[in-house]
Amino acid sequence: MAKFKLYSEESNRSPLSRLWKKFKRNHPALVGLWIFMALLVLAVIAPVVSPYGINQQHSDALLLPPSWHDAGNVRFLLGTDDLGRDVLSRLMNGATYTFGLSVVAALITTFFGVILGTFAGLTRGIRSSFLNHLLDITLTIPSLLLAIIIIAILGPGLMNTVWAIVFALLPQHIHSIRNLVVQELNKDYITAFRLDGANQWYIIRRGIFPNIYEQIVVIFTMALSTAILDIAALGFLKLGAQPPVTEWGAILAENLGLIYIAPWTVGLPGVLLFLAVLATNLVGDGLRQVLKDRKAD
Amino acid sequence: MREYLLRRLSLLTFMLFALSIFTFSLSYLFPGELLTNLSGLTNSNYTSTQLLEAKYKLNESLLQQYIAFLGRITHGDWGISLSSGENVFEHIRILFPATIELCVYALITSVVIGIPCGIISAVYHRRWPDNLISSVTMLGFSIPIFWLALLLIMTFCLTLGWFPMSGRIGLLFEIDAVTNFMLLDILLADFPYHGLAFQDALHHLALPTIVLAMYPTTVLIRFTRDSMLHVLEQNFIKTARAKGLSQAQLIIHHALRNALLPVIKQIGLQFSTLITLAMITEVIFSWPGVGRWLIDSIYQRDYPAIQGGLLAVSMFVILANMTAELSHSLLDPISRNKAHGKI
Amino acid sequence: MYKLVLMLLPVLLSGCMKNSETERARKAQGLVYCAEANPVAFNPQVTTTGSTIDIIANQLYDKLLSIDPNSGEFRPELATHWDIANDGKEVTFYLRKDVQFHTTSYFTPTRTFNADDVVFSFSRLFDVYNPYHFVGDANYPYFQSIGMDQLIRQVVKIDDYTVRFELFNAESSFLSNLATDFAVVTSKEYAQNLLKIGKEAQFDQLPVGTGPYLFKHFLRDNLIRYHRNAHYWKHPVAMEQLVYDITTNGTSRIAKMLTKECDITAHPSATQLEFLISREDIRVDKAANLNIGFWAFNTERPPFDNPIVRRALSHALDVNKMMQAVFYGSGIAAKSNLPPSSWAFAPQSQLPEYDPEKAKQLLLEAGYPDGFSMTLWAMPVSRIYNPNARKMAELIQSDLKLIGVTAKIVEYEWNTFIDRVGRHEHDSVLLGWAADTPDPDNFFTPLLSCTATFSGKNPSNWCNPEFDLLLTQALDTNDIELRKVYYQQAQAMIAKELPLMPIAHGLRFQASSSDVEGIELRPFGGISLAKARRAQ
Repeated sequence: MAKFKLYSEESNRSPLSRLWKKFKRNHPALVGLWIFMALLVLAVIAPVVSPYGINQQHSDALLLPPSWHDAGNVRFLLGTDDLGRDVLSRLMNGATYTFGLSVVAALITTFFGVILGTFAGLTRGIRSSFLNHLLDITLTIPSLLLAIIIIAILGPGLMNTVWAIVFALLPQHIHSIRNLVVQELNKDYITAFRLDGANQWYIIRRGIFPNIYEQIVVIFTMALSTAILDIAALGFLKLGAQPPVTEWGAILAENLGLIYIAPWTVGLPGVLLFLAVLATNLVGDGLRQVLKDRKAD
Repeated sequence: MREYLLRRLSLLTFMLFALSIFTFSLSYLFPGELLTNLSGLTNSNYTSTQLLEAKYKLNESLLQQYIAFLGRITHGDWGISLSSGENVFEHIRILFPATIELCVYALITSVVIGIPCGIISAVYHRRWPDNLISSVTMLGFSIPIFWLALLLIMTFCLTLGWFPMSGRIGLLFEIDAVTNFMLLDILLADFPYHGLAFQDALHHLALPTIVLAMYPTTVLIRFTRDSMLHVLEQNFIKTARAKGLSQAQLIIHHALRNALLPVIKQIGLQFSTLITLAMITEVIFSWPGVGRWLIDSIYQRDYPAIQGGLLAVSMFVILANMTAELSHSLLDPISRNKAHGKI
Repeated sequence: MYKLVLMLLPVLLSGCMKNSETERARKAQGLVYCAEANPVAFNPQVTTTGSTIDIIANQLYDKLLSIDPNSGEFRPELATHWDIANDGKEVTFYLRKDVQFHTTSYFTPTRTFNADDVVFSFSRLFDVYNPYHFVGDANYPYFQSIGMDQLIRQVVKIDDYTVRFELFNAESSFLSNLATDFAVVTSKEYAQNLLKIGKEAQFDQLPVGTGPYLFKHFLRDNLIRYHRNAHYWKHPVAMEQLVYDITTNGTSRIAKMLTKECDITAHPSATQLEFLISREDIRVDKAANLNIGFWAFNTERPPFDNPIVRRALSHALDVNKMMQAVFYGSGIAAKSNLPPSSWAFAPQSQLPEYDPEKAKQLLLEAGYPDGFSMTLWAMPVSRIYNPNARKMAELIQSDLKLIGVTAKIVEYEWNTFIDRVGRHEHDSVLLGWAADTPDPDNFFTPLLSCTATFSGKNPSNWCNPEFDLLLTQALDTNDIELRKVYYQQAQAMIAKELPLMPIAHGLRFQASSSDVEGIELRPFGGISLAKARRAQ
């Protein structure tokens, strides 16, 4: 960045629009954002727009290859599986489960993470020490293992998976947000605020949050990519969503037996998963980069 | 230093204590009958039920039960697996080395590849090597490892036929399990075709190791790169550069040491991620390790096995992390001074 | 990551080329069989699980006699000949001499096989004074389900090589039952040795038999290793080693065939048959097989105790779709619970056909206008009679939805599954039966009789005295025509009462490397690898 600016209106813009301006220049991140938005829209409208029902079986069209293939049929754009179910419809609905539920799980995690993290950041003394010890333990256990433990107790199932992932991601979240809060609390302007007689709630609302919410979004994207991977991994291990639920990992596991004769039924859900995680990571990385750059300005 | 060690030791004790409480409560949290969850015996008659109740002190207070539990765990009596009817501890003893073996090789691979790549990436910051490595890292970071495994199997096993797709070694090699670490066992075994068996075992290791190493490698690359970049921005580097040191001298003598310290800690932390990812890898490559067994046990609702498996895996993760932290603080005295319990 | 691959490849590949000669020589001495489940036990007397029988029965043990799969005649095995006296109530076997039991790390025989072993093996099944009778909770599912424990009065040793079976009454299927894979001969000496050291339970886990291979090592979920029995009485055994690679996942089994990690695989899944047949290095054998895949209702639990409900549910099944989507042409739709190749077969017109309207109407009639919810247990393994029960369950689930019945699919690991179905924890279950003998009784008594209910082998939990009477009458006579009449009545009764809905008869497939020869596939019973060898 140039150190001298002839015109200064740029820096007068709101932080958010400056953020966007920088973000726009990062092309991979922008592409990631578009894919992300597309998936989000798909997750919401998939049940309405998908051409067939997810469990609608067409006994006249078993294992059709995608439509561009010679043996394909335009009725089924991405072909059918071994029960004659439309692959496209199943994959579209899969967005609702894998991507949509991951977003929900990440949102819940963020919500509780912010509350508990802030609380942890504000506490001092023995309570803080105990909390930190507890976090220490759970932090050392990876989220997927923690999720597997929770599923071992609750039993396999999609909703159980979501809860398991929320619980598993929470410690990391609390930890990061607590660090952010503590960092901000130690800054001079907060001390000044405090000297002005602001109460705790006011400090949090007007002092800390406006300064950390962008970071929280970054943390959210990290949680989201972990959540997608975990939901899919659990679905793949048959510990999460159970067929015929159209979660991508579960579809993949279900169609594994068809890998030789109908590779598209295995390949496509994998591609989608990869795209979803990639898009989330690109957005998160881009955002982090931009925040760093803005700070450096 | 002593005070630091004591503090870590007390933390370790606390963690193991919490873990034991957690594992103990699992038998009560699991669905199904408590006595079956504890012992792994079904359909027992009245007298044996009485005996078991006495053994597990079910009629006494929870504290008594917990103490009895600790006693059993330390004596290696981890209950009987519902599905195999054998001692859970015995299962773990046989299976765990396979998992650790896989994890260690994957960790070595990711260190060997990850750290140099990370350094290169930082040194050539925002030039083509950095861009290339960062993009590949991004892809590797985002790919679900079970899908990666399937892709590799499709290409290398089924299409090209270069690698076998399951197990630790060709089954026709008859190798006595002494240590349960395959490569060691091959060396210890006495038969004429050592070389052949060793090669076969390496062949079997290749794909699972690559799959398992993928995620930690990308994490290490990113971490090393960030750490290196951070160090390169420090004033002492600028000073050194101003003094006219060459780029190579600068990096090798000044930047590297400082940048790699936090990386060492990160390497240790990767172990816990590895153990988890190893579960998926083991399932796909039919690797006879503790992860595959644990997941099978969950399918079969084999509660004593789940409990034992979780205890073993969690204990291992905690110990690995603690070791990483200790070795890190041995090398980096500053980190010892961090406040008690702070994270 | 590609860097690593590039780095490793030359090393691994070069090594592989150099040693390929030695590699081939070593491989030629062993055979790897991809099995689909852990064996439940290593003694066929105590289990009926098909996957277990395939692994243990013909490889480790011998029977007194066997049935020729082509002619249907009895062939001598451990008994050289036999005669029947006293209206079929006394059967005397003359035994083969110089047959050796396996010498293993845990047992060294001091004598050859003789009459004591036969007496011991069979008296264990019914004689409470046999010290091994209660080992493993006195559970001999096959023999109990056909009532053989009630049939044999005693087994008498005449001299060292002559044994007489005395029966309470003549039963036409007795010799057939002795020729099944379950009626093996075990070593009395081994049993006594174990008794001395108080380790009776080991008897069914570490086997000693007279078969072509001897047990070496079993690692659960991983492998079973057998070595060649160098002293096999029948013929020399070609393979040095026989290893079972336990691979529960069907797709992995096929993949291992492709990567040459397995030489033979059990039950390749129907979806992949076409693909396998197209490969040159893999041979797919097809054999007619006596079996039936069915949907059994737990008839003790309401609402399944009501035959109308059972009929309604059966009418909802679109069997044709199943034949397409599950069997891929590797089976035929059932017209009775007996397969058409059985001599007692008679097509049943009463068997419900696909008719959802009729189904709804029947449900209304039975008092369930709004339907109900039920569990539908799908076995987790692929069997001849049902290559993919999970898939079939999903089809049934959507069929049932049309008539307002909600089905929840339940799955367990195979051994747990069998165990729980045996305890009748299910509402309905997709299961099947592969015959052990060509005798039609094998499709009735072990499956649907009252004795089978008690031994947990009757998935319908159905006990009908009238039906049992028919079966007893059919067994009491040797007149084929008369027996036919009884069995046809029994089939009609099943079609009317529907304790289970017959779905299909599968063809047995077996995929093996094209360089492996001598695998014996039979229309009934397990597979035999005694004569397996590699083509030069």
